[in-house]
Amino acid sequence: MTTPSVKPKAMIQDNTRCIGCRACMIACKSWNNRPADHTEFFAGAGYQNPVDLDANNYTLITFNEIVTGAQPDWVFGRQLCMHCEHPACASACPTTALTKTALGPVVFNESRCIGCRACMQACPFLIPKYDYENLNPKIHKCTFCADRIEAGLKPACATVCPTAAISFGDRDDMVAEAKRRIATAPGTYIPEIYGLDDVGGTSVLHLSSVPFEQLGYITGLPKTPMPDLTHRWLRVTPHFFALLYAVFGALTWIMHRRSNRSDSKGPTA
Amino acid sequence: MNWRIRLTWWDMVLLAIMALGVVLAVVRYAGGIRSVANINNAYPWGWWVGFGIMTMIALGGVGFTITLLVEILGRHRYHALLRPAVLMALLCYASAIVMLMVELGRPWKVWMILVSWAPSAALYEVGWCAFLYLNVLVLEFVQVPLEELGWGRVLKVLRVIYIPIMLLGVTLSHLHQSSLGTLLTLIPHKINVLWWSEQLPLIFLFSAMMAGPALAILEYLAAARWLGFPPNIDMLGGLARIEAWLVGLLLVFRLGDLVIRGAVEAALSWTWFAVSFWVEIGFGLLLPLVLLMMPEVQASRGGLVTACSLVVAGVLLHRLNVAVFGLRVRHWETYVPSFGEIGITLGIAAGAVFVFGVLARMLPIHEELPPTVASQPRATARAAAWHGARSVS
Repeated sequence: MTTPSVKPKAMIQDNTRCIGCRACMIACKSWNNRPADHTEFFAGAGYQNPVDLDANNYTLITFNEIVTGAQPDWVFGRQLCMHCEHPACASACPTTALTKTALGPVVFNESRCIGCRACMQACPFLIPKYDYENLNPKIHKCTFCADRIEAGLKPACATVCPTAAISFGDRDDMVAEAKRRIATAPGTYIPEIYGLDDVGGTSVLHLSSVPFEQLGYITGLPKTPMPDLTHRWLRVTPHFFALLYAVFGALTWIMHRRSNRSDSKGPTA
Repeated sequence: MNWRIRLTWWDMVLLAIMALGVVLAVVRYAGGIRSVANINNAYPWGWWVGFGIMTMIALGGVGFTITLLVEILGRHRYHALLRPAVLMALLCYASAIVMLMVELGRPWKVWMILVSWAPSAALYEVGWCAFLYLNVLVLEFVQVPLEELGWGRVLKVLRVIYIPIMLLGVTLSHLHQSSLGTLLTLIPHKINVLWWSEQLPLIFLFSAMMAGPALAILEYLAAARWLGFPPNIDMLGGLARIEAWLVGLLLVFRLGDLVIRGAVEAALSWTWFAVSFWVEIGFGLLLPLVLLMMPEVQASRGGLVTACSLVVAGVLLHRLNVAVFGLRVRHWETYVPSFGEIGITLGIAAGAVFVFGVLARMLPIHEELPPTVASQPRATARAAAWHGARSVS
């Protein structure tokens, strides 16, 4: 494939096929030049390492101990940027350092970032991370390997997954594929595609055998785009500006005239 | 202009707090944000934004509120409050800018807001409006020193453009005070139901308007006490009656919004959120409302100071509740502001108070002071400046 089509891309994260090998995490670090971490075996879901996404880890396989059938079992989930169709992070960014590209990735332009961290505050999936210890800090998150996609390649994680838990293609095809998997194996999947229409749809679609909240996913998000919440106010701002200026100007004029008539004292600075 | 200012014990205390802030800021620039602050990936804003920016901008609302009252609504009775209000607003906004320079990860990139247009972002609008409004405040206030220095030609220009510039300032304030609330409407999943509301822009605007007269009264009484002029309590009583309306309307709006959103149950549950909410409503709105409605309070310095301090503290607590305390992300992630974070904000606030105190003694900011006390005869002042005889002792 030398000439990639401009149709928006998407990725399926099929958690029912995940074996927790973390090859995706390694491939991600490798492609994005993230350093290795010295991690520790901790209490609880101790096999999961590291505990959370951070500036050096753009994706994370989560280890969830869930009783399935007779005994507890590991059920894996995955955290990465969802690459929303209507990204809250990009809508919050005052300098357009974050933008949604035509192919799907929400990309970070370091040269525009002022470090206000509004994107971190805005993201409903809690994805963007910051390197606070750095003197020239940056926002860190999954890039959807935008550079690879532009070149017609798959994201790094999707190339290495040994169990085909990660599929990549045009979003329309991926949605159809996710629906097909649920329809053909209703015993394996719960009938829900995480990201199909959450916050207005995302470019990463998750499938699971257990309810998503059991995998630590953030659930209960609205089905409408998050930026709608601010745009309904910001849309009217220019009109408000003109209206208020006119009203205040008129009031000043009226009051000025009135006070000039009663006494000759006008407003002074 | 009076260059001979005797620094008092209070000035020394403020300078000491400023010095602490400077030391902490040096550590922040040398070692990164992590070296002084507890803000983290789950709580990226914390105290610096909640207090240093959100509260400071709200208190800066004193500028447009008093300007609106005096210049637009023509209540010239309160003219004595105008210059202090404009200076306070100028210093609040300047403080917020200084805070931004500490708080931003890459402060040297801040000009990007002006060149990389993002009109759909609330923060972009806040940035532009606050930047323009700061310029308006400078143009408004600079007339005071220019009068003293006798720069007639520049003053003439400034007075011609004063009305449109003043209107611009009041309009911009309405926009960005509300946009700070718009910014937070984006995160209903993080802010506790007691504070998140689609009406946050209006709540932010109304509370900034409410903070204005309260701060103006507090400043006036403090100036009367420390600069030594008899306060016009009758005028303050009039402003207190206006303030009672503002507090009352916000109280009704807040409680009505709570009921309409169906958050009453959360407000009546026994949680820290509910406690903080009721402290804010009870001590920041209800109690000052009752006090401000009492004729005894309207006529007494102590009563006015108490009521207005409660209002200002209530606005502070609201900004902290909505932007810091009321935020919960995931239960295992926590945030408690560090000594470094609080120290830097205190240093900045102390700086604002210090500069205000110095300027209040240098320039004729308070009409009640006889011109000879606030400023020397014009010719002498100019000569002193020309000969470099500036002494701050």
